[in-house]
Amino acid sequence: MREINRREFVKSLVALGATALSAGGLLAQAACSPGPGSEEPGGLVRKPSPGPAAGQAYLAVARGGSPAEITHRAVAALGGIERFVRPGDDVIIKPNICVAYHTWEYAATTNPEVVATLVSLCLGAGARRVRVMDYPFGGSAGAAYERSGIAQAVTAAGGLMEQMAKMKYRKTPIPAGRDLKEWPIYQDVLEADVLINVPIAKHHNLARLTLGMKNLLGVVLDRSQYHRHLGQRLADLTSLVYPTLTVVDAVRILVDHGPTGGSLDDVKQLDTVIASHDPVAADAYATTLFGLTGADIAYIKAAAEMGLGEMDLSHLKIEEIQA
Amino acid sequence: MTAQRWVCLRQIVQYLFLALFLYLFILTAKDRWSPLPVELFYRLDPLVAISASLAGRTIPARLLWALVTLVATLILGRVWCGWVCPMGTLLDLLRFRRARSKAIQVPFRWRQVRYFLLFVVLIGALLANLTLLVLDPITILTRTLATGVMPALNYAVTAVEFWLYGFGPLQTPLAWLDTVLRSTVLPAEQSFYQLNLLLALFFTGIVGLNLVTDRFWCRYLCPLGALLGLLSKVSWLRRVVGPGCNQCRRCSRDCPTGTIEPERGFASDPGECIVCLTCLDTCPQESVAFKGQWGLAEWRSYDPSRRQLLASLATSVGGLALLRTAPIARREHPYAIRPPGARENNMLARCIRCGECMRVCPTSGLQPGLFESGVEGLWTPVLVPRLGYCDYSCHACGQVCPSGAIPPLTLEDKRRTVIGLAYIDQNRCLPWADNVDCIVCEEMCPVPAKAIRLEKARVLNDQGEVVTVQRPHVVRDLCIGCGICEYKCPLNGQAAIRVHVPNEPVP
Repeated sequence: MREINRREFVKSLVALGATALSAGGLLAQAACSPGPGSEEPGGLVRKPSPGPAAGQAYLAVARGGSPAEITHRAVAALGGIERFVRPGDDVIIKPNICVAYHTWEYAATTNPEVVATLVSLCLGAGARRVRVMDYPFGGSAGAAYERSGIAQAVTAAGGLMEQMAKMKYRKTPIPAGRDLKEWPIYQDVLEADVLINVPIAKHHNLARLTLGMKNLLGVVLDRSQYHRHLGQRLADLTSLVYPTLTVVDAVRILVDHGPTGGSLDDVKQLDTVIASHDPVAADAYATTLFGLTGADIAYIKAAAEMGLGEMDLSHLKIEEIQA
Repeated sequence: MTAQRWVCLRQIVQYLFLALFLYLFILTAKDRWSPLPVELFYRLDPLVAISASLAGRTIPARLLWALVTLVATLILGRVWCGWVCPMGTLLDLLRFRRARSKAIQVPFRWRQVRYFLLFVVLIGALLANLTLLVLDPITILTRTLATGVMPALNYAVTAVEFWLYGFGPLQTPLAWLDTVLRSTVLPAEQSFYQLNLLLALFFTGIVGLNLVTDRFWCRYLCPLGALLGLLSKVSWLRRVVGPGCNQCRRCSRDCPTGTIEPERGFASDPGECIVCLTCLDTCPQESVAFKGQWGLAEWRSYDPSRRQLLASLATSVGGLALLRTAPIARREHPYAIRPPGARENNMLARCIRCGECMRVCPTSGLQPGLFESGVEGLWTPVLVPRLGYCDYSCHACGQVCPSGAIPPLTLEDKRRTVIGLAYIDQNRCLPWADNVDCIVCEEMCPVPAKAIRLEKARVLNDQGEVVTVQRPHVVRDLCIGCGICEYKCPLNGQAAIRVHVPNEPVP
């Protein structure tokens, strides 16, 4: 008798589960059936970034103080975080946490203090939630978040570390793309109200430098395959995943053996933070820290050609702040 | 306490141990504090302890816990099998009694098989071989769960999640569910194990044998059961049948090990009895009791004999002599990349085939090997970089290894331990063969000074233009063989950079 009971129990459990699942599925399907004017889930485009404010800097560079202080000052020079973050906004901050190998002193990952400062600023501006995420290529995300020191700093500042979930990468069309027309892209960075890109400036042998636009590679899948025509492809990606604000961490830069690093001999301390709403201009300025110009970097050139931002810094209003 | 309560208690204990086993199994791959050693069941497994000590010529301290099991067996008999062993519990749960064909009668002498296996294991261990520990029930369970069940479960859950995520309103609850699942049970990344189907079939076969009779595996095959059975021949707690017995045969019908023989006055063999206490409950006359008494139990026809011992000796010695004169013994397999420090550590004589390192490896690069060191190395861990690399920030395999086959290196030492050497296939590498830019291997190399260097070369590309490409070279003195270059190489199929066994012979 017992075995029949168990069997029946399992049967009814399965039946119940199947009913619930199909009912839920039907409901969900009904709820999101495309109405007039509704967008295909795959056709997301990011909200446009606010342009330069009248009387404020187009690009701000702060030097000399603590990472928190220069981050504050650089953002303030652009007109303050309130220009980018409205009360109730859903914010994603994308630092560079590419490997789980070293602590932040080795300059392979973004400075935790810079990231945490941005989290505080966003929450202070009334953001509903601030998530911080990256998809490391070496080691697990959990380990990389911890070792980089970013997890602790962000959590203390009230932000959330999110481990990027496979189901959120959806094949997404890139309408303006020249080399790439679609690629699996993390949906949340497209849907978020605000995307703040916080790369660390460092050496990379193919791209020459890893800066803001290169840092966006963290939101796509199949990155090894992405490396062909990397310059144009990064520009294509930027056209879709256009950050609201770019903050380049150049507190400590990695000048050789990037992007992984591991030797303090390759690290140069500059105590610098660059901020701009324009991802191309921010990257172009950052190249000068390595004695290069924007034109030396394929992805900066490609992005400027696509009209995604300014590569020529000479006519921009740049505010240099010494803290 | 009534007999029914005793049986109930035993079942609760069984389920608790099964739950504990699964809990520790899941915890193994989560970098989190554990109340008990995650490899607890291996520490308690006396077959593992004895054979690893014999083969490694040292007694690994962790395995001294097995004394607990040995002492418990000397007092109470095969309680491990009846109360603790997660494999036994699973076989109790999956009895298939209704589907069983009644026609099959397994002869008593089949019980010899497990003693034969036990002796082959132990004599092999004396000769520094542990291959047949693949038949230890705990290794079977861990291996099956790690290489088969978990990856398949993760795949199924991820696929359902991906599908459901297409429905807008489900996205928020799904994101929450996914976070909970990945932080508790499921891995962050999908793993892929070679031979997963074979390993799953192996386990399914053991379960399927329950179609023949209850606990077929425990009765006839399990070498650990054989070891505990031998000890139980002198154990203290014995089952006795009282004068009230009216030969109703219920006890012999219900006994899961089939050791209660009506022809022998419903007596049982302590070497076979797993102290499950079913007979205590099932006897309508309440005429069964378990009482303490010392002494050697009757030696039965299926118990080990001198002849059987000689046969296992011949099998072990002959088999090993053959294995060690196979071609693989002459020169190493080119891709037998071992976990850090294991190569230098006489791994084949120490590895108990437990599968903990494969379970804990975050990239699932550690795979159950097949022929990389011949049949003798069956299911020992091999790094297969195309499936997963050795993470520069991880040294978990050496921390969980119960037998010390993989030494517990510090992260700093592990980062300096050479497990292999990368070689570039210039006939396939994009910059070398096609004059196309690609520096993925160099980019990924975790060694601070980069064990892959790039050489600039001016070449004619397919369009007839002179272009500059960067061609990768491996700096042999810096390469540690972690295999991330091979893992990430963007070529399909075989990578254009492959990790080979180190050239230096092991001292």
